[in-house]
Amino acid sequence: MMEFMHTKLDNGLVVVGERNEAAQSMACGYFVKTGSRDETPEVSGVSHFLEHMMFKGGDRRSADDINREFDELGAQYNAFTSTENTVYFGRVLPECQARLIDLLTDMMRPALRNDDFEMEKKVILEEIAMYKDNPASVAYWEGLELFANGHPSGNSVLGTTESISVLERDQMMSYFERRYSPGNIMVGLTGAFDWDAAVRQIDEATRDWVPFDVGRETPELECAVETKVVQNNQFTQEHLIWFWPGLSLQDERRRAAAVLADVLGDSVGSRLYWGLVDPGVANSAAMGHSAQDRFGTFRAYASCDPERAGEVVQKVQNILKDAVENGVSEDEIERAKQKGASSIVLHSETPMGRLVPVGMAWAYRGEYIDTDEAVNRLLSVTKEDVETLLAEDPFAKGTLVALGPLETLEA
Amino acid sequence: MSSQDVLTHTFSNGLTLAAEIRPAIRAAAFNLRMPTGSAGDPSGKEGLSNVLSDLCYRGAGDLDSRALSDALDAIGMQRSGGPNRIAFSFGGAVMSDHLERALDLTADIVLRPALDPKELEPVRSLALQELASLEDQPQRNVFIHLNRAYFTNEYGLSFLGTEESLQSLTAEDMAEAQKSRFKPTGAIMSVAGRFDWERLKDAVEARFGAWDGSAPDLPQPIRRADGCYVHIEQDTQQQHIGAVYAAAPLEHPDIYVSRMALGVLSGGMGARLFTEVREKRGLAYAVGASGGYLKGCGYAQAYAGTTPERAQETLDTLIAELKRLTEGVTEEELERARTGLLSSLVMGGESTGARAGAISTDLYYLGRVRSLEEKREQIEAVDPASIAEHLKEFPPENFTVAALGPRRLEMPE
Repeated sequence: MMEFMHTKLDNGLVVVGERNEAAQSMACGYFVKTGSRDETPEVSGVSHFLEHMMFKGGDRRSADDINREFDELGAQYNAFTSTENTVYFGRVLPECQARLIDLLTDMMRPALRNDDFEMEKKVILEEIAMYKDNPASVAYWEGLELFANGHPSGNSVLGTTESISVLERDQMMSYFERRYSPGNIMVGLTGAFDWDAAVRQIDEATRDWVPFDVGRETPELECAVETKVVQNNQFTQEHLIWFWPGLSLQDERRRAAAVLADVLGDSVGSRLYWGLVDPGVANSAAMGHSAQDRFGTFRAYASCDPERAGEVVQKVQNILKDAVENGVSEDEIERAKQKGASSIVLHSETPMGRLVPVGMAWAYRGEYIDTDEAVNRLLSVTKEDVETLLAEDPFAKGTLVALGPLETLEA
Repeated sequence: MSSQDVLTHTFSNGLTLAAEIRPAIRAAAFNLRMPTGSAGDPSGKEGLSNVLSDLCYRGAGDLDSRALSDALDAIGMQRSGGPNRIAFSFGGAVMSDHLERALDLTADIVLRPALDPKELEPVRSLALQELASLEDQPQRNVFIHLNRAYFTNEYGLSFLGTEESLQSLTAEDMAEAQKSRFKPTGAIMSVAGRFDWERLKDAVEARFGAWDGSAPDLPQPIRRADGCYVHIEQDTQQQHIGAVYAAAPLEHPDIYVSRMALGVLSGGMGARLFTEVREKRGLAYAVGASGGYLKGCGYAQAYAGTTPERAQETLDTLIAELKRLTEGVTEEELERARTGLLSSLVMGGESTGARAGAISTDLYYLGRVRSLEEKREQIEAVDPASIAEHLKEFPPENFTVAALGPRRLEMPE
C-alpha cells in the first residue's frame, strides 16, 4: 500500500514521500525549480553546466569522492536539466538510504572549483557536439526557439558552443546564488524509505541553508506563426518539427490534451501513423503534448525522404484539419486512454518511475495523486473534453521547421 | 526474486513456459522468444527478419492490419520484441485483466499472420528509409560497421539489410520464413507480474499447444581473431569510436568474473573509462563499455564520442584502459563493481518487463533460471586474483575498431 507524507523545514525546504513497503529499493531526488527559462542570454546553458558541476563536490568531497561513493552504494543515479527543472536523483537498496541522502544533500552546496570548471567545460562542449549529430534534437531546439518567439521557455538547455566557451565560474556561482534557495528546492522520496530518519537527517544537514526569494518570469506566450527551412547537408533525411500552443501544468485540461495528442500522433495506431508511417510516406511520425509551468506545447515530428517532405507536410495539415472539423471517435479516445493507463501503471513499478511524477505534482500543484487515482483521472477524460479543445482549433497558429538537405519546402 | 519463485512447464511441442508471480503489481509482461533471428536470414536476403517482424503486425487471424492494431491498443498493450541475430521475439505488457486477450492476439501474430503481399511494399519502403536514415544516426551506424568488421559470416551482416537485399524480398520469402522458422522447439514464453499459474498454463496451452516443429539451426558466429581498423568517412561534428574484442560467453562458469572486470572498466562514474576519458581529460561526454552475447560467443564493446581533433587521444586512452585491466585491479575497485552488480540484480527484479526478459535469457543460454543466491555467491567469490587469472584466458587485445567521422585514426601500438 502507498502512503504519502510531506513536511516543510524551517528554511523553506519541502520534503515529500510516497512510501511503498513492498518495494525493494528507495529513491531520493532533489528537485530544483530552475532551468534554461530562468537564464539570461549571456549565461545560456548555465543551468545544465551547473548540474554537471554539482557532481564535482563541495567542501567535504571531491569529484572523485562523489563518483566513488555513488558506486560504493551500488546506486543508480543521474541528473537532468530541462527548461524549468533540474533534478538530481539516486536509487539504492533501503539500507543505503542515509548515505544516499548525505551524498545528494552535500552535492547541493557546490564549491565550483576552477580546475573542475575548466575540465567540465570540455565535457559540455563535447555534449553539445554530440547533439549536433542528432538531427531530431537539432530540429527540436530550432523549432522550439522559433515558436517561443522570445518567451523564455524556448531557451536552449545546452546553450551554444559560443555561450559555454566564454562562460565564467563566477557567473555560474551568481546563478547558483540566485536560484538554489531552499525554498526553491524540494526533496522527493519514493519506495521503501524511512520517513522519520530521512526528515531528521535532511533537517540537520540543511540547517545553515539561508533562504532568499526566487522568482520566475511567466510572460504571455505570443507564439510565432512561421515556416522555416534550415538547410543542413550533414543530414540525409528531412526532419520536420511543428509546435503549437498547448496547456500548462496548472491547467486541468492538460489530460484531455494528452489524449488528443495520442489519438492524433501516438507512435502506433494513431492518425499520423495510419496516414504517414503505415503507407511508408514517412519513416517516423509522432505527436505529443508537453505541459509545463504556465506554458505548454503540442508538437509533432516526422522524418522522411526529402523528396516527400512536401507531401508529408500536406498530409499532416489535412489530418489536423480533419480532426478540428470532424472531431474524433469514442473508440479512438478509449484506445488512447487504455494505452496511457498501462503506461502509467508500468512506469509505476519501480521507485524511480514514481519519483518524478510524485515530485512534479507536489512541486507545481501541491497535490498528491497515487497511481490508481492517476489512472482514474485519465480514464475520466471524455470525448466532449477532447472536442472542447478541438473547437478552439489548437493548431491554427504555430511553427514548422524543416531541417535537412532541402533548400525550400513546397507543399 | 529467487528461482523457487520461477515456475516452469515444458509443453509436449517443446515450448517452455516460465513465469514469476508478482502479486503486488497490477500488470503482467510477457515475451515469446523463438530461437531464430537475423543470422538465419537466407544469403542475399539480409533484412528479412526485420521486415517480417513489421509485417506480422499488419493483420493476423481474422483481423486486418487496422483491426489488429486497434485490438492491441484497446487493451493498452505496450508492444515489445522484434528480431535480433539469434532470437525472434514477440511480447508486451498489459494490465493483468488483459493478459489472456494479449496472448490471443500474440498467437494470431505468430501463428496466423496474414503476410498480405499488398502490405509488403509499404513495409519495404519503411525499411529502405530506415536504412537511409542510418546516416543521420552516427552513434548507431558506427556499431553496424564495427559488427560487420568483427564478424565474418552471417553475424556481421546488418539486420537492416542493404538496398539490394531489401529490394529482392518477396511475399513468398516472408511466408516461407514464417512457416519454417516460427517454431516451438526451444521457444520460451516468459511472464512476470500478476496472474494465476494454472490458468496461465492452460491459456498458453490452448493457444500454442497445437503448434509443432523445429526451426533450422542457426550458423555458429565466426569472428576475426587479429583485429583491424575501419574508417567510415562522414562529415559529422563528433568522431564516433567503437572497439570490440573477445570476452567470456554467457555460458562460461566464470561469467561473473568477466562481468566484474567490465564493471571495473565501466560499472559507474567512478569506473576507469569514465574517470580516465571524461573526468581526467574531458575528452568525451559519452563513454562506456558493455558485454555482448551470442550463443557460445561473448565479446566486449566500448564506445566514445569526441570532437575530431581529440579523436586520436581518445582512442589511445580508450585502448590503453582496456589493456590496463590485465595489470590488475584493486580490492576497492572490485568492491564497487560488486556492489553495483548486486544492487542492479535486486533492483532489476522490480520491473516486470526486465524480469520477463531476464528469465528468458537464463533459460535460453543456460537451460535453467539461476537464483539470486546463486548469482550472489558467484559475485561474492570474485577477487583480484580470479580477475587476473580470467584475463589470461580472455585478455583485452586484438581490437577491432571502427571510427566514423572526418578524421582517419592510427591504431595504437
